[in-house]
Amino acid sequence: MAQVEKFSYDNAIVRKFTYATIVFGVVGILVGLIAALQLVFPSLNLGIPETTFGRIRPLHTNAAIFAFVGNGIFMGVYYSLQRLLKTRMYSKFLSEFHFWGWQAIILAAAITLPLGITSAKEYAELEWPIDIAIALVWVAFGVNMFGTILKRREQHLYVAIWFYIATWVTVTVLHIGNNLELPVSLWKSYPVFAGVQDALIQWWYGHNAVAFFLTTPYLGLMYYYLPKAANRPVYSYKLSIIHFWALIFIYIWAGPHHLLYTSLPDWAQSLGTVFSIMLIAPSWGGMLNGLLTLRGAWDRVRQDPVLKFMVVAVTAYGMATFEGPMLSIKSVNAISHYTDWTIGHVHIGTLGWNGFLTFGILYWLLPRLFNTKLHSQKLANAHFWIGTLGILFYAIPLYWAGWTQSLMWKQFTPDGFLQYGNFLETVTQIIPMYALRALGGTLYVVGYFVMIYNLVKTIQAGSFIGDEEAEAPPASTWAVHTGKEHWHRWIERRPVQMLIAATIAILIGGIVEIFPMAMIDDQVPKIESVTPYTPLELEGRDIYIREGCLGCHSQMVRPFRSETERYGEYSKSGEFIYDRPFLWGSKRTGPDLHRVGGKYPDSWHYNHMLDPETTSPGSIMPPYPWLLRDELNTGNTAAKIRALQTLGTPYPEGYDQIAVDDLQKQAKIVADNLRKDGIDDDKLEEKEIVALIAYLQKLGTDIKPAPQAGN
Amino acid sequence: MFKYLLESAGNINWMAISALITFMAVFTISVVLVFKHNSAYIDKMASLPLDDSNPVNSENDNHEK
Repeated sequence: MAQVEKFSYDNAIVRKFTYATIVFGVVGILVGLIAALQLVFPSLNLGIPETTFGRIRPLHTNAAIFAFVGNGIFMGVYYSLQRLLKTRMYSKFLSEFHFWGWQAIILAAAITLPLGITSAKEYAELEWPIDIAIALVWVAFGVNMFGTILKRREQHLYVAIWFYIATWVTVTVLHIGNNLELPVSLWKSYPVFAGVQDALIQWWYGHNAVAFFLTTPYLGLMYYYLPKAANRPVYSYKLSIIHFWALIFIYIWAGPHHLLYTSLPDWAQSLGTVFSIMLIAPSWGGMLNGLLTLRGAWDRVRQDPVLKFMVVAVTAYGMATFEGPMLSIKSVNAISHYTDWTIGHVHIGTLGWNGFLTFGILYWLLPRLFNTKLHSQKLANAHFWIGTLGILFYAIPLYWAGWTQSLMWKQFTPDGFLQYGNFLETVTQIIPMYALRALGGTLYVVGYFVMIYNLVKTIQAGSFIGDEEAEAPPASTWAVHTGKEHWHRWIERRPVQMLIAATIAILIGGIVEIFPMAMIDDQVPKIESVTPYTPLELEGRDIYIREGCLGCHSQMVRPFRSETERYGEYSKSGEFIYDRPFLWGSKRTGPDLHRVGGKYPDSWHYNHMLDPETTSPGSIMPPYPWLLRDELNTGNTAAKIRALQTLGTPYPEGYDQIAVDDLQKQAKIVADNLRKDGIDDDKLEEKEIVALIAYLQKLGTDIKPAPQAGN
Repeated sequence: MFKYLLESAGNINWMAISALITFMAVFTISVVLVFKHNSAYIDKMASLPLDDSNPVNSENDNHEK
């Protein structure tokens, strides 16, 4: 027997991430609850731009994904990595840099998103300086993780660590790929790709943010903490190997299922569908591996709240990963897309899978960090039941709302007209469901506060072990290796090989889907009549982005009769070639806007923004009075034109010099139109609303013989 | 579905086919190899998370009871 080395685990960094997880969980869920309540009571934004739905929705998603789940990942990884490798973290400095850097990024997000500073890419809204900060912190995490792996005392890498490695490398690739953008100013940039290409890259990222930030790291945590909590090894280690390789290879392909029936070429949509359906196999393999780990221990699940949370988490993972492939079937997606069904689906994942697994880990971990027992099993059980009820009250009404609204959108009268021609009818019908959803969210929050109380009492009762003593044989006992070995051991012993193999697995899908779209012009047929945005329309478009309008309005008319009857001609890929970023959206709380240009007079839009209820009684859209009050900032207009020219938008040479003059001319035309309809205000042509109206009146008019904006 | 996929892949169909073949190959080889090796090694790997306890952890392991 070789001598053993004594060392200690760094629990201080684990404690920091644990506290951050708990705090940002509250923040993320509360912001979500406020957003949910605003869909029932729009005035809850209190008339403040920074608290309006369009701006706080990305705050909620970013807080839930990157602040709550992100810190949860790091909490779980920093604890399990050290113990699985029998060594302390590689660098105290990198651990601290990672922690404080990540919290600073969260703080930057919490400030910039309510201010309307956003790149409009879902789950990647943060602007370029923060993107760079994310890259730096992520690299620090990677160096720290690989440094720890390289100085390990345990020869083999347990499956959880493969998931951590795959997470790190894929998030790196995704983050860089989806944030290729050209800065205009400190807080504004335009993406390198436009229209349909931008859409494909965004949803390659967006889907895999779910896959490689909300799923693979949490599967790694499941493979460590579930066996720990159940005190028995994982059901099948063989299955976990297949689960890992199949999952990471297939997941990366599934992004286009977010773009079914859009202007994305059919071949890319079909690839997305095929691989999404194939995903059921590895996903359910992982789920069953988790649940079957509890074989023979189900009696303990009845008493132990940690196991209860984990069982529901893994079950929710199974439900969400069955539902996801179903939603990727085109005929199902035709019903579900743009409705609350999608919102219900993702919340089964986040509230059930991510939330409950985090809670299970917190209840398991904190007593260990503080060398004590959990303050109250009863309170933890109460949290479990309140939280479970919260998920049910959240998801079921949204499924109901999604199906109801979708069927109403598609309902025709016997004479062949839309039965619910007014979109608003389909919204007011489901408001009671939104109220029930808010009740579900409230229950979930209540359960969360019960957990905080329980954990605080636990912490108070214990004494923190900052450096946990441990011992293990040194690496020299296995460092020299000769002879024949099993193929997977060869990979497991070498983290760099694991990294390269995982990178190849995830790159194949990305390259096959994205390369032809990005490089072959024929994939996006040109339409001669499509013109770049005028400077005023461009500024209006950036206001549309700032206010988060795409959170509730799509700009993609699908080729269904129910949609062409309601909105007009279906959307063509060639119409979006100057759209940086693309603004197709993914949810219709309000109607699609791609053909709204020329549909209403300018004054209708003015009054609608002042008070939506005057033009659309019963509307749940909040008023935007500040657009009528605030003056349009044209300080960056020339720089925006130059940036777009660099990216290939065919503005004439030197157009940036006269762009503001053109902007003012068009603004005067719009202002005159408003005055004709009795709207008079000082300096009307200098207000933001004029730019937004110009943009909305341009939408979808390139391919229809309609009057241009302002004419 | 696959016929439709391959028909509509146009000039990039070789990429779609090769990706599908690569996946099937990787998947099949992993399955075959995974089920060919010795169970002692698999048991050791499976029990790694349970093998990291030290005296402090062991004391705490009964907290759920």
